Amino acid sequence: MSVRRFQPDNRLGGMIKQKGGLMAKDAIAAAEAGVESLREASLKALDDALAEMERSYGPQADRSEASFEMLYLLCLKVVDVAGFAADAGVDKAALSFCNLVDNCAEARVWRWDAIDVHLNAMRLLRSAGAHLPEAERANMLKGLYKVSGFKSDEG
Amino acid sequence: MSDALLPSTRINLEKAVVLVLDDNGASLDILSQVVSGFGVKQLHRAESVTGAQSLVKTKTFDLVISDVQMPDVDGVEFIQWLRREASEPNRYIPVILVTGHTRKTDVLRIRDAGANFMVAKPITPKVLLERIFWVAREDRPFIECDNYVGPDRRFKHEGPPPGTDGRRRDDLPAEVGTAQEPNMSQDEINNLMKIAKVQL
Repeated sequence: MSVRRFQPDNRLGGMIKQKGGLMAKDAIAAAEAGVESLREASLKALDDALAEMERSYGPQADRSEASFEMLYLLCLKVVDVAGFAADAGVDKAALSFCNLVDNCAEARVWRWDAIDVHLNAMRLLRSAGAHLPEAERANMLKGLYKVSGFKSDEG
Repeated sequence: MSDALLPSTRINLEKAVVLVLDDNGASLDILSQVVSGFGVKQLHRAESVTGAQSLVKTKTFDLVISDVQMPDVDGVEFIQWLRREASEPNRYIPVILVTGHTRKTDVLRIRDAGANFMVAKPITPKVLLERIFWVAREDRPFIECDNYVGPDRRFKHEGPPPGTDGRRRDDLPAEVGTAQEPNMSQDEINNLMKIAKVQL
């Protein structure tokens, strides 16, 4: 097997050093301000995804045709915008949910009890998570991780 | 320029041409806002791999930031295509992958995709700017072989695995052999670290 090892030109490296530009703290502040302008739209997208999860995979849904892939993609949609609800723990709960669905998909077996636990927890965290005492929120997330096998230090 | 990204570090991305790829519109908006906030003036957005491929075929980019999980063709396949089939210089540009959650079946695919770095969603401007700074200062060599094209996946050079000869030209054997000279005395070692005045 032939292996070529070389050093390509990194134009980005040359650019960032050029005069002008922004100080890192100002660039971060400008980016945060830009992201903040998306808060309302992002939280709507988050709520839409949660409602779709409930509608298609909740206890009232017809679960006979449930798709691992579709539920996983819905979980990812929540993670995508969950930075706006990080104070409520929704981001971490969504990652735990991703892990649960991935495990189910791998085993090709649904664990509806665990799915219901996650749906309930996400609904509660979204509505009241930010007002819960920190220890209570942490315990709730710990419970979810136990159910899903998620390790919070993993992506 | 310092190794770490300090609050006072200047970073100029005004002339950088950046491609952001994400199939989720809300997530693409967030990524775009972050990158624009960093001072990027030429930002191109794509919501599908097909759209991103069309852009790569017609423009020269300096940085790609791509989501991993997408329906049909995903970010890993896009990077593999970029590294193998795109023309130069786009083939060698820095790539940052962003992902919310990594499926067990994707861990090795992502490692072998040929990206420079991975960032976890939900993204924060601070982390993304640190990673951009990092890939801009990247000096890892590029590897091109049958089953991998991308920056060298070995960050540290700790020698070849035990019992192998290694594949790098500069790999040293694990066996160092017997000493050719007597050990240094404590005084000689101390002298190596002795503070001395320097005439400038």
